[in-house]
Amino acid sequence: MHIPDGFIPITQGIIYWIIALVFIALALRWARKELSEEKVPIVAVLAAAIFALQAFNLPVGMGTSGHLVGGALAAIVLGSPFAAVFILSIVLIIQGVIFGDGGLTTMGVNIINMGVIGGFVGFYGYTGIKAVIKNPYVSAGIAAWFACLIPALAASVELWVAGTFPLVPGLIAMGTYHAAIGIIEGVVTAAAVYLIIHARPDLMDIKTGAAV
Amino acid sequence: MIEDLFLIEKQSYRESHIHSLDARVKILVAFAAIIAVVSVPYSTAVYTVGAIFFIFFAVLWALSRLPVSVYFWRLAMVLPFGIFIIFFQIFFENRYYEVFHPIVTLPLNIHIYAESVQFASILLVKFLVCISFIILLSSTTRMQHLLEGAGRLGFPPEFALILGMMIRYLFVFAYMYRKVTESLETRCFDPFNRVVPWKYRVRMLGYTIGTMFIRAYEQGERTYLAMLCRGYGKDSHLYVTKKAIKGYEWAFLAASFALIISTPVLVWTGIVNFF
Repeated sequence: MHIPDGFIPITQGIIYWIIALVFIALALRWARKELSEEKVPIVAVLAAAIFALQAFNLPVGMGTSGHLVGGALAAIVLGSPFAAVFILSIVLIIQGVIFGDGGLTTMGVNIINMGVIGGFVGFYGYTGIKAVIKNPYVSAGIAAWFACLIPALAASVELWVAGTFPLVPGLIAMGTYHAAIGIIEGVVTAAAVYLIIHARPDLMDIKTGAAV
Repeated sequence: MIEDLFLIEKQSYRESHIHSLDARVKILVAFAAIIAVVSVPYSTAVYTVGAIFFIFFAVLWALSRLPVSVYFWRLAMVLPFGIFIIFFQIFFENRYYEVFHPIVTLPLNIHIYAESVQFASILLVKFLVCISFIILLSSTTRMQHLLEGAGRLGFPPEFALILGMMIRYLFVFAYMYRKVTESLETRCFDPFNRVVPWKYRVRMLGYTIGTMFIRAYEQGERTYLAMLCRGYGKDSHLYVTKKAIKGYEWAFLAASFALIISTPVLVWTGIVNFF
């Protein structure tokens, strides 16, 4: 769902960039305050790791494969949606400038989709669902599924606003594909959270409620 | 994608006139070209602008003495999503045209419109030119130079520090990714082997990913402590030395900007038109 250059008119690209910059500034402030100022390097190292985790080819079933976005995982483990904004912004800058995946004028919109929307949906989805069902792993899985689906739907709305793809077919195509890919994102995130809670319980920021 | 990191970096370590240009010059030229192409409204003017820009790119690529195969390999890596949107474009009407003429009618009342095909080709031109300049930039400039160049252009130093660490550890994790996948292979673990239950395969992958996450976190903690020992504090930032842009680099920058700015203007005013 990395929107490439040319698919969003320059004026809209600038607006998305400004919104993204506001969130990057907020994420930087979060990192300084919550990570006791100097721990920012840990996030930088985690960003590199998320990039590597995205490389794993995961079986979705029926011959399809998908890969992780990782925003929900980062937000859940580090206990803030801004962790995802921070980490995915860095990842998207590298992907856009070095690999050419995504774009320069569309980097703002991609940061909004995968970092901001993905991070917020992942984190608040997790805390909200966990308050109801009390199971951190299932909550993490469902939240990660939404964190994969909703940014994809947002991308199709943005392409519609840009006039480069019609709304309904876009929502159907992107929605179906990412609803399927989201299953693997959800299951793998749940398994990873399960492992992290059991191996490094001190690492998870929020009270998980799980018997460790 | 991270698997290609070493190959991309290897290309940027070659030597040529383009490789030796100051990173700032290359960043500015590539970014300006992309912004200029994106700024051209969705119209047939994109064809001429795109053609001239593509020739400009091709000349720079030739001067960089990189094989053409590298370009196509890197292009293939990033095409899928863009091509998906461009291909399906031909079946839909869009807001940039008033009337649509069906050229092919398929069952289920699906049409291919002449205008939509044209619109798809406009998108394709914009997409290809932008990707080409990014490929040129990252194939001819080392990541560290890109970072320093960005720092000299006014990129916030504290953010440059974070990005610099991310780049350094990107290679560490690329190695780790390689080692982990190799060890999975030696254990004959195939994520796509249907004989093994899906649940088991996904659980193993989830644990692998969780383990890598923990390893990264612990690596981060160690790095952080090591940095503290070396005097790192909240006011630390990446130190970028001053470097003057040489005369011929100024000339190249000026000539490139003249081309990048004048082309869309001349095409838009109708003075230059190839198509």
